[in-house]
Amino acid sequence: MAFRYRLELLAVVAVLAFCILFLYASSTMMDAAFAGSDTLGSMQIAEMTGKAEEEFSPLIWQWAPPSGEIESGLFAIQAAIGGIMVGWVFGYWKGQKKRTVE
Amino acid sequence: MEGFLPLQWCLVWWIIALPCLIFGIYQLEKVIKADREVLPLLGVTGGFIFILSSLKLPSVTGSCSHPTGTGLSAICFGPWITSVICAIVLLFQSLFLAHGGLSVLGANIVSMGIVGPLAGYAVYRALRNTRVNMYLTVFLVCALADLFTYFTTSLELALAYPAEVGGIMSSFILFMGIFAITQVPLAIVEGVVLALVFKYIVQLKPDLLLRLKVFPEEKILNARSEA
Repeated sequence: MAFRYRLELLAVVAVLAFCILFLYASSTMMDAAFAGSDTLGSMQIAEMTGKAEEEFSPLIWQWAPPSGEIESGLFAIQAAIGGIMVGWVFGYWKGQKKRTVE
Repeated sequence: MEGFLPLQWCLVWWIIALPCLIFGIYQLEKVIKADREVLPLLGVTGGFIFILSSLKLPSVTGSCSHPTGTGLSAICFGPWITSVICAIVLLFQSLFLAHGGLSVLGANIVSMGIVGPLAGYAVYRALRNTRVNMYLTVFLVCALADLFTYFTTSLELALAYPAEVGGIMSSFILFMGIFAITQVPLAIVEGVVLALVFKYIVQLKPDLLLRLKVFPEEKILNARSEA
């Protein structure tokens, strides 16, 4: 198989296609709010049961991020934890491999 | 979705989730005891679940959802250990992000941590020893694990909220429209990206994959000589 970076190329194409699809969707659907699908699900349930969304409350009390900013920050922390783990391990493997080659 | 699942359903999903988790913890202990070198691999596959499940991506339906990233871990460690990692991620999200909650955690573990990885694992077992390309297998497993997670979410909600006309089936289709269709492009991108990650694991740590018997020896060696 001649080309070494087939998968890399495929990944770039897939991500680009995803971005283009998003731009297309957001320009043709003016009313699209890009809310979370779970928000839409909640609205659907509220509609089906005839109860207001606010009437549904968690069975066990839970803390909610006071604002969207804080929430996005916490999500970023989650991604960072994952990123650090992945980066650390790949670095560790790379170093291990280098040592065995030497 | 905190609060939207009635108590009896929360309990049902918890009861299904708990034995799987306990079995997963038992398996995890065994694997780590047998070979300390698998820990970094566990870190990578778990790390991707952390990263991907925090990315809320926009989709063609005009709403956002996030991928799951569970396929890679299901391939390397099987579905039960994956459930344990998912449970940790979901606990983080329900404690700090009000994304899911403690009462619906059981349901979320079942959809993201059990049914998704189990479906992916079934595909992996079916294709492992066939001539299907290794990376194509990884792609299919990851994409399907992602999709099945949201099929299950839809089913969980449909069971709790059957439509007045048409019952469970028609509300299942309704929820599928909200969750699953949004998920299709995300699942494809997730599959491609994780297949690429798998390629790097094959390049750096083929011996580990061989020891865990993730794929037959000749497949891994072939993939290495290609690169």
